[in-house]
Amino acid sequence: MTVTETRTAGAAPPTAGRPRPRRSRHTKAVLFFVVPFGALFVLFYLVPIGYAIVQSLYKLERTGTFGPAREVFGGLVQYERVFSDGPFWSSVGRVLLFGVVQVPVMLGLALLLALLLDSGLVRGRSFFRLAFFVPYAVPGVVAAIMWGYLYSPNLSPFTALTRNVDFLSADLVLWAMANVVTWVYVGYNMLIIYSSLLSIPTEIYEAARIDGAGQFRIAWSVKIPLVMPAIVLTTVFSIIGTLQLIAEPQVFRSFSSAVSSTYTPNLTVYSTSSIPNFNLAAAFSVVLALATFALSFTFLKFTQGRGER
Amino acid sequence: MRASLRSASVLLTSALLLAACSSGSDDSGSGTAAASSCKPSSGPVTLTYTSWIPDLEEVVKVWNAKNPNIQVKVQTGPNGNSGTYQNFFNQLKAGNAPDLGHIEYDALPSFRVQDGLADLGGCDIVAKAKDQFVDWTWNQVTFGEEGKVFGVPQDAGPMAMFYRADLFSKAGIAPPTTWDEYAAAAEKVKAAGGYITNFSQSDINQFAGLAWQAGGRWFANDSNQWTVSMTDPNTKKVADYWQNLIDKKLVSTVPPWTPEWDNAYNTDKSWTWVSAVWGANSIATGAPKTAGKWKVAPMPQWAAGEKKAGNWGGSSTAVFKTSKHPYEAAQFALWLNTSEEALTLLNEKANLYPATKAGAALPALKKGVKFYGDQPIYDVFAQASTEVAPDFTWGPTMTSTYANASDGFKAAVSGKGTLVDALTAAQASTIQTLKSQAIPVKE
Repeated sequence: MTVTETRTAGAAPPTAGRPRPRRSRHTKAVLFFVVPFGALFVLFYLVPIGYAIVQSLYKLERTGTFGPAREVFGGLVQYERVFSDGPFWSSVGRVLLFGVVQVPVMLGLALLLALLLDSGLVRGRSFFRLAFFVPYAVPGVVAAIMWGYLYSPNLSPFTALTRNVDFLSADLVLWAMANVVTWVYVGYNMLIIYSSLLSIPTEIYEAARIDGAGQFRIAWSVKIPLVMPAIVLTTVFSIIGTLQLIAEPQVFRSFSSAVSSTYTPNLTVYSTSSIPNFNLAAAFSVVLALATFALSFTFLKFTQGRGER
Repeated sequence: MRASLRSASVLLTSALLLAACSSGSDDSGSGTAAASSCKPSSGPVTLTYTSWIPDLEEVVKVWNAKNPNIQVKVQTGPNGNSGTYQNFFNQLKAGNAPDLGHIEYDALPSFRVQDGLADLGGCDIVAKAKDQFVDWTWNQVTFGEEGKVFGVPQDAGPMAMFYRADLFSKAGIAPPTTWDEYAAAAEKVKAAGGYITNFSQSDINQFAGLAWQAGGRWFANDSNQWTVSMTDPNTKKVADYWQNLIDKKLVSTVPPWTPEWDNAYNTDKSWTWVSAVWGANSIATGAPKTAGKWKVAPMPQWAAGEKKAGNWGGSSTAVFKTSKHPYEAAQFALWLNTSEEALTLLNEKANLYPATKAGAALPALKKGVKFYGDQPIYDVFAQASTEVAPDFTWGPTMTSTYANASDGFKAAVSGKGTLVDALTAAQASTIQTLKSQAIPVKE
């Protein structure tokens, strides 16, 4: 983003004196590219968000046990319920704990694999690149079902292990799911980091080598700092993904006694909307979205601030 | 950055306005639908019907061939609580629900409280059909109110005990007829290397059936407010009973409806299952290796000599309030659930056990069943059906009640808390859920 800004700023003075017609043609082109995106973005992104916000500000009123409900403006009533909902906040704590452990492990692995592929130490590079990526092609639900079987105490091919260690117990099931998520997304994140590694000009490596740097030194002091933007990007994606965890816990609910209907924040939203209590579910979603936004934004601010210094 | 924020906020407010307009207009639409009149429509009619009954299309084909003017289109979806109910709620909110829907008895109050059901009480054909149905099923669709009918009863789930006759006789244990005998048998079965049954941590409706038999009544509605009593003495008795078996590790606690669970039945680990009539099919498909070894006996009783049964499941064919052809929809629903040809087909294709009194005498339900060593098992269920107490009421937010109770049951089988704790917590959160929906409830 900063790159484009500086470029347009630099190019601005010469274009200032250009005749107008050109500019309007430019505007048309801009419209041509922006309108389809903008329309879809508004229709399928902003309107639903707006609708959720509106819904979250309403409450129901009725008379008698089966009286029809009237939706009336309720102000922040639903939000009061959200903030006094114990299970919801403990589920937020749960996914944060999950994220603090799982995201670094997953991205560490992704970075390691990307560096290995890039180092030239591995033969059959394109095979491994594809092989690491394959789990991402497996739909998340299918992956969760598959791992559910692998963890199962009596049906797993590894019963010798699963009979003695109950991966689906209350203590371990969160990490069992972390393993599934890691398995699915490591390859995806690796690919982002790897493609960013490929874009590093080879002259930099040559210069480093002339200065006497070995493979590890190059990886540590040249490659990692240069792919930092990609790592930051994957971290933000992962933070968002963590807070929105739903497929894995939903599938694991049928395998494990330890996964409740409010195990993750999104599961709470789902359970609430199937009551159906749309207003409260909307309020949960809005709070969750704001929390996700705040967390991602804080992380970006923190890492960018550090980069500038 | 600031500029983009501002434009985003402009977009957002306009979206809000848009949304506000649209939500306003659909409110006024739903408010006008008053008490439904039930008059035949003129001209040909096409009805949509959403259900998860397997092979329902085959049954509907028979109707469509005979009624060129009332054509029914079948849409299939997942099992109610696994998604179809949520679809119904969303469709009702969006105003595009199908004409007819498959709704289990325990979910009917939820749909009524959301104002989603057409009252068929005004349809003379429906009112006249009352005597054809088993009393308690009629009660489920009328909520015990005169002149109101919110669906046509379809099937019932009277409960009995499936047991491994071969294993019991080999171990020299008599099949239990009371719950005391059942607990005593559980010790012997454990000694013989099995479990008397698997306690289900997530089938709260099964537990409700057990409580129903014992005289537990979870909900009451005096038309001013609801009363929730999931820990009444009778339900507590049932909960304590199973807690004892769990504590002594006399029952297994595998999550139900998983391959793991099928495996327990298929490999002689689980010896009995106190379940509904449709469970006959679940065992046959889940535990094929045990063919010919099962038998069916009446549910164990709380006092020797009593004759009481519980019910698990059963559903109705409901007409949604948004339907433009309630009369034709009711006509179809009655044919589907009372005519011998439809009931026979439904039993053949989907193992449904009819909710009509005459249904118990269907030739298809008099035959011996091969999987059960040619025992005419439906006779046991026909008897059970007459022993189900008619006054069990479901609450208006069962999805959430089930989820909450199941969370607690899951904790209890993992050793955290007890079943009674789970029911106490489920009662508290049910009251909370009712209040957040502005449904009057006694605290």
